[in-house]
Amino acid sequence: MNASTSPAATSIRAPVSEPAIRLEGVSYAYRDRVALDGITLDVPRGSVFGLLGPNGSGKSTLISLLIGRREPDAGSISVLGAPLTPSLRSRVGVVFQEPSLDPLMTVAETMALQAWLFNLASETVRRDTAALLERVGLSERATAQTSTLSGGMKRRLELARALLTRPDVLLLDEPTLALDPDSKQAIWQHLLEANTAGCTLLLATNDVAEAERYCSQVVLLDAGRIVAQGTPADLKRDLRDDAVRIEWRGDPSGLVPALEAEPGVGHVRLAARTTHVTVDDASRFLARLFERWGDEVHGVHIERSTLEDVYFQLVGHGIADVEEAERS
Amino acid sequence: MIAAAEAMGALLVRDLRAFLRSRSQLYSSVLFPLMLLAILGTGVSEGLDPENIDDYVTFLTPGMIVMTAVFSSTFSSASYYHDRDSGILKVFLASPHSPPVILLGKTLSAVVIGMAQAVLVLAVAIVIPAINFEWQYGVLRSLALAGFAIVTLNLFLSGLGQLLAQRIRTMQGFHLVMNLVLFPALFLSGAFFPLGDLPVWLRVLGAVNPLSYAVDLLQLALYAPDSDGYFGVAVDVIVLTALAGAAFSFAANRPVRPEAA
Repeated sequence: MNASTSPAATSIRAPVSEPAIRLEGVSYAYRDRVALDGITLDVPRGSVFGLLGPNGSGKSTLISLLIGRREPDAGSISVLGAPLTPSLRSRVGVVFQEPSLDPLMTVAETMALQAWLFNLASETVRRDTAALLERVGLSERATAQTSTLSGGMKRRLELARALLTRPDVLLLDEPTLALDPDSKQAIWQHLLEANTAGCTLLLATNDVAEAERYCSQVVLLDAGRIVAQGTPADLKRDLRDDAVRIEWRGDPSGLVPALEAEPGVGHVRLAARTTHVTVDDASRFLARLFERWGDEVHGVHIERSTLEDVYFQLVGHGIADVEEAERS
Repeated sequence: MIAAAEAMGALLVRDLRAFLRSRSQLYSSVLFPLMLLAILGTGVSEGLDPENIDDYVTFLTPGMIVMTAVFSSTFSSASYYHDRDSGILKVFLASPHSPPVILLGKTLSAVVIGMAQAVLVLAVAIVIPAINFEWQYGVLRSLALAGFAIVTLNLFLSGLGQLLAQRIRTMQGFHLVMNLVLFPALFLSGAFFPLGDLPVWLRVLGAVNPLSYAVDLLQLALYAPDSDGYFGVAVDVIVLTALAGAAFSFAANRPVRPEAA
């Protein structure tokens, strides 16, 4: 092993101008399917960077390239200003989408094994482990087997384990998937603390609200290509301001062309007996709606436009609409 | 180098702890061969009374040590599936070590656990009054030879187990293949009956069977009274060394399938 795996080396930083992660023309194909198609992007240091897209858009593949589990077919990847090597992984933390705890090990053993695998000095580890377990609320459970923890606790332990190595970059693949709202918020509180301390977060998610709320920059992915990139506010700038969700008494599919032809209407998205319509001015649109189709409307909700609307406008389908296509 | 060794040590400690925690595996691995010695050993020597073997229970003991190594390293290699399915293998592979270091650590754990159980069976056999080892090379030298056989056999079996575990998708499939290969191999190894008196086709199969060389070396070291064995010490040592080296290094140098982790 070279010197960069020693704990002291984690304090050596590349010039601040270097992005935390740089991808140039990165492509990857599975045997029968292109997963990433010429991805070029810079993840700035210290950012909370979101990869937003439906399942199968290439997010997980991108994460697996960044931890070196797969080699890109084309293009180059650099992390913290250097090409990706195993020793560089001492500065990169990962929280995987699927559970990644050994059910037979205890909480403390899980942390200790991680420290050992990363060759961390023992005094630092003892202090950091205690502090991290305290922070994620698992101090009391240190001697419990991980199989006895709740879903939220498991996630918090995985996060504590990833933070134990004090990574400069933390890769998160759907970190709050299937968690209840309280657990989600707890995870995000810890993530934002880490970010404040200087850790760059790269987050793969299909949770629009999460990306919009926490990410300083977002990349929208569709079928392995970047369709848009910017801050959530930038991305929504070109969008109509309001969105109206209409529940219909009958099947509204025949009404879509007429709705689209209404003045001030952006796009119309159809899901079963519900339509989602972006509009310039919700109050004016609602007046027209009830005038023309009042008898057929069952209920109406007015919302602010979201990144989901941006995504739909660019790609023609929503993030939530795409069925599970990729398992990698 | 030191960092890699430390990582392998970490994996070894973790696997040993899991092994010691699983009491059923610990007990059964020692009880099963001793039970076979008691039942099969006594049954054959009293019920069949073989003419060419005076002390069948002692004759059977080297085979039982080999059998213990076979079962325990198979079991340890199957922990690959546990690690893959629990997701912890991904975490190992995302550490700053290259995949061969992680695989070497896993294989090494299997070797150590397999060896420990085989040595335990040997130790128990030594103190059982009904088992009378000859120690034809003197106790220390015979023990050294037996130890060599146990180490190389476990290196070979663990390497083979790791290799197969990475090729076979499910644990059920893995156990099926292992049983299909290892049971006949065990029967054809000279563990239960001497190879020398068999028809030619079985002797040929016995000679291509890696386990035969471990059984032969253990019988020479422990059981055989003033004998050169079936293959002889030199051949046994050479074949076992070659097999152990090949399987172990091959297993550690295979790339891990990305979809497995």
